[in-house]
Amino acid sequence: MHASNKPALTSKPYDVEDFAAAQEFYHSNGWTDGLPIVPPTAAAVEACLEWAVMPPDQLIGIEPVRAQPITAEKLAINAVMAGCLPMHFPAVATAWQAMMKDEFLLHGTTSSTGGCAVLVILNGPIRREIGANSTFNALANSDRATAVIGRALRLALINLLDVRPGGIDRSTFGHPGKFSYCLAEDEEDTSWQPLSVVRGIPEGASAVTVMAAMAPRQIMNEWTTDPKEILETFAAEMRANQRHYSIYGGNYAIVIAKQLREPIEKAGWTKADIAEFVYERARVRRGEWADVGKGSIVRDRAGKIHTALASPDHLLVIAAGGPAGGFGAVIPPWMGSKTKAVTAAIGACVDCEPPKS
Amino acid sequence: MIIRVFDPTHEMKAAGNKPAARPSSLQGKMVGFISNGKEGTKGYFAALERMLRDELGVGEIVWRTKSNYSAPADAYIVDEIRNWHAVVAGVGD
Repeated sequence: MHASNKPALTSKPYDVEDFAAAQEFYHSNGWTDGLPIVPPTAAAVEACLEWAVMPPDQLIGIEPVRAQPITAEKLAINAVMAGCLPMHFPAVATAWQAMMKDEFLLHGTTSSTGGCAVLVILNGPIRREIGANSTFNALANSDRATAVIGRALRLALINLLDVRPGGIDRSTFGHPGKFSYCLAEDEEDTSWQPLSVVRGIPEGASAVTVMAAMAPRQIMNEWTTDPKEILETFAAEMRANQRHYSIYGGNYAIVIAKQLREPIEKAGWTKADIAEFVYERARVRRGEWADVGKGSIVRDRAGKIHTALASPDHLLVIAAGGPAGGFGAVIPPWMGSKTKAVTAAIGACVDCEPPKS
Repeated sequence: MIIRVFDPTHEMKAAGNKPAARPSSLQGKMVGFISNGKEGTKGYFAALERMLRDELGVGEIVWRTKSNYSAPADAYIVDEIRNWHAVVAGVGD
């Protein structure tokens, strides 16, 4: 029942027989990602809105290409379906605000044949508050919070922007991150600045970073403690991506697990030092395309150098992963620089401007 | 037990746009091509130009290329469309 002072939900209601009937109803309407959903009841949706202190009709943003308004109510319905608890909802809402910034190019990234997913990186106190795990099995089913936040973004894309396979989503191949792709940085077990702070968010604030991202490419180097040798392995994987996927530079993310972080930190390297090194090393000559079957588009520019990063600050360096194992991950961007990663503070209005005088 | 659940979609009806009026003939008309700039579109549009000129008597073909193949056409291209009798757009890879 609605309290008298609580704004009512305005989405179309449906009555279903039971939990199983709800599943078939949502699946048959094309409203899911193929997995079971949590039925979005009024109580669950309203609890999300109350937690985020948002009325149902609060405008989260407007998708810039199709001019599609995204309201808090609709986003909360999809978040509940994904399994979100109220405490997860602010991260979902902020990620959506960030995705709707022009530089993210939401329509292009979600409709392209070059199927990518939206990677969400969590920073700040909210990670601990919602129980996000930054260690074992990071980038996969590491915990409930990252699983449901990532899934909520995808369900809302499906239902609010019609990003269904064969519909707006024209991906030739997707990847498993299109079910859920969310990572919390291991801020407690590193001396490095959190990604959000590197990208301009005040220390101590919770934040999300969104990036249109391909699948992670895992690397291994357990046979050195030299920062340059460790990072050379990451750079080599980026060069491989340039040769085999897209030669053009963009926002790459590298995720460095503890065993590889420790020697780099011990040597006094900061994230800026890492980015500078990787910027210098992750680059290929256009002529290398001929080595991998793409000689026809080398043309007369074989000597042209393509950097994986337009500048060092285009590299997102993230501390995460289990405590043992000399592993890391390189996460390439979707199609170079056509999209930019966006970072936004949770609880802050990313589009607010001072009142005009 | 009956559960009341809610529609997760935008619930928006189609915007009400309708296709532009179709010319009865392309003879002597001006046709615009809006390419997304990808490699594969060059051969496609070249073949289409020959067909439109040779078989349908199109008078003039205007080629324009988007600056970003994943974004809508640039504003200056959209402004030009009003000068054309027909436009071919939305061709992908």
